[in-house]
Amino acid sequence: MAASTHTSVLKHHFDRLDQQHASERLGMWMFLATEVLFFSGLFGAYTVYRLYYPTEFEFASSKLNRVIATINTLFLITSSMTITFGIRSAKLGDRSGLIRYLVLTLLLGTAFMVLKAFEYTADYEERYMPGTLFRSEYNAAFEAIFPTDPQQKPLSREEAKLYFEKDAQSEHPKHQHWAAELVLLNYRKSTADPDYIDPGKVQLFLSFYYIMTGIHGIHILAGLGCLIWLIIEAARDAIPPENYSTVEVVSLYWHLVDGIWLFLMPLLYLAGAGWVATY
Amino acid sequence: MGHEEHHLKPGALEFDRETDSPSLLLGVWAVIIVLALASIGLSSLGLGKYALPVQLAIATVQAALVAYYFMHLRQSDRVVILTALSSLFWMAILFILVLADYLTRPWHVGW
Repeated sequence: MAASTHTSVLKHHFDRLDQQHASERLGMWMFLATEVLFFSGLFGAYTVYRLYYPTEFEFASSKLNRVIATINTLFLITSSMTITFGIRSAKLGDRSGLIRYLVLTLLLGTAFMVLKAFEYTADYEERYMPGTLFRSEYNAAFEAIFPTDPQQKPLSREEAKLYFEKDAQSEHPKHQHWAAELVLLNYRKSTADPDYIDPGKVQLFLSFYYIMTGIHGIHILAGLGCLIWLIIEAARDAIPPENYSTVEVVSLYWHLVDGIWLFLMPLLYLAGAGWVATY
Repeated sequence: MGHEEHHLKPGALEFDRETDSPSLLLGVWAVIIVLALASIGLSSLGLGKYALPVQLAIATVQAALVAYYFMHLRQSDRVVILTALSSLFWMAILFILVLADYLTRPWHVGW
């Protein structure tokens, strides 16, 4: 067999192991730079419309589930720490420690996605989605207060409030709470009124919400795939201390996805945290 | 394996064996968690026009801690740090050019 400089850890096109590690890190960072730009497009568009329609964005945000988002924030931050502990175990040659931290990271990421699934389900059940679902709920609430039938009298603001309160307490409410609030907020306001909350712009926020959390969720899924691969590699003893960089490179990606979430949290969920309805 | 390594340059298999101290990792984690809870707590107080700048400032500090400690920028090669900063540079161009257009449209309804 011909002699070669190829060992199980050092690829033949590198002279030294630390050179190989440096190249791996640099490659991942270059990919992360493109990821930052990719998300910047979304954040830039969000910025423009948040500045254009601040009230609609705050209203729309106030109806999102902040409890789930808070728990998910804690999960992701913790997962960033556990995967960094994984690098440490890999460097120390502690294979069971490495597997333990990778599994912990995988569980935290999975828990994030499971909560996300519950959140999306609840949003869907509230018909809090842009398009026909949103429109039909808003129109139904509007119709209840301002009937198109000229024979029926429109409800006064006080009557409308009582009607929605009673409906919300009934066993099978006819109206979504957000639709009722929107109709009350816009009571007898023209679309030119500066306080008018445009349902179209509320849906615009929702589009940002679903696209940004959706793309972020896809990134989490990709990260979970990489974690499963790392766990298999570690289990078959293919990550010796010399290959700790394999774990580090995946961790860089995982941290980026965590970092994106640190900005999604305030922009999507906390934007309306201080919202107080006045009608 | 021994036969193969005979052809390696001296020190070719050496690498950085230094590890993060667990107390450092736990400390950074605790600070980021406290900042997250602070951001959430402050937001529910309703800070009005200060809410957004405060939230973004906290998120930026959190992301910087993640990048510096968890992503090991504090011990990275200069070329990696440059790559990381370049992403912020391109992002700044994107934001400045986009906002220079949209925020200077006085004819926009409601702006």
